[in-house]
Amino acid sequence: MGKLARIGVTLLVVAAAVFAGTWVWDHYLYSPWTRDGRIRADVITIAPDVSGWVTGLSVKNNLAVDKGDPLFTIDETRYQAKFAESKARLAQERTGWDLAKHQYERRQRMADRQSISEESLEAYRIRAETAKASYQLAQAELETARIDMERTKVLAPESGIVNNLALRRGNYVSRGAPVLSLIKSDSFYVTGYFEETKLQLVRVGQKARITLLSGGEKLSGEVVSIARGIADSNTSSDNQMLPQVQQAFNWVRLAQRIPVDITLDTLPDDVNISAGMTVSIYLETDLEEE
Amino acid sequence: MLHEMSIGGMLFSPLVVLVPLAFILAAATRLALHYLELRRYIWKEAWFDVAMFVCYLAAIVYLFGD
Repeated sequence: MGKLARIGVTLLVVAAAVFAGTWVWDHYLYSPWTRDGRIRADVITIAPDVSGWVTGLSVKNNLAVDKGDPLFTIDETRYQAKFAESKARLAQERTGWDLAKHQYERRQRMADRQSISEESLEAYRIRAETAKASYQLAQAELETARIDMERTKVLAPESGIVNNLALRRGNYVSRGAPVLSLIKSDSFYVTGYFEETKLQLVRVGQKARITLLSGGEKLSGEVVSIARGIADSNTSSDNQMLPQVQQAFNWVRLAQRIPVDITLDTLPDDVNISAGMTVSIYLETDLEEE
Repeated sequence: MLHEMSIGGMLFSPLVVLVPLAFILAAATRLALHYLELRRYIWKEAWFDVAMFVCYLAAIVYLFGD
């Protein structure tokens, strides 16, 4: 009897240990969590639409700007000159058109008296049409010059925070080359890279608990989307566009990571977050409730 | 979720802390059983000790792993 009790006690504890050990293993390996998450934000890269020297800088690094606020201005003398030139060209074309029109009208009256050939009248009509088209062309060029002149003032397209401002007064900026970035305000979200083995446990709309690397207060959020594609590192194309598949495929291999986007609920006021910060994410499973 | 432990700026697996904790508890249990002379009710001591350790570890992960 004593012997049976001894065996029973030991086996009971061992059985409990097997259950507990399995739970810890599953908890670690098969619950949808990742410590490979990043805070992200909508980043707008600002590039000027005209080239030139920066003559004025209205913003400071890491400070907020409102939508429509001036960011910096580019030397506009060249564009002013261009505008004046286009304006003069327009006046010139206008007089040219007036003259051609006048000549045509006069010859129309002459044609009534049959003192001009049909061909000559036609030539004057076409000349007047050409002059009109030239005038319209000059008008369009003036409009372009006006747009260029306006765009020497670069405005903020959205409210946000100026980031990585290395621009200084006197720098030369080129059209289309980004010079600073703007982090749109309140656009923070989280991307978690979940192992593909855990992806079946991820659902859109699932609640997420997000912990910053510094620990402390947990943020909350909700899964909005799951990426539907990642790059395949097992293959590449050769110059005939045939797939070049790697021969080596190991038994020991790592689960790939799939990005899952998570929106943040309202942030607590005392939490500082920056795009690029590392977070751990745990998704609530309602499997128990189902 | 097991959250990483920051020790002097380096991040470690939480098991670095949780496993020694479970080990200390298991050792304490072993000593207690020894002094209370209850170890004679154990059939295979090694099995029992390892099982106690795993149980403690699971309990600690459940309580503090979050």
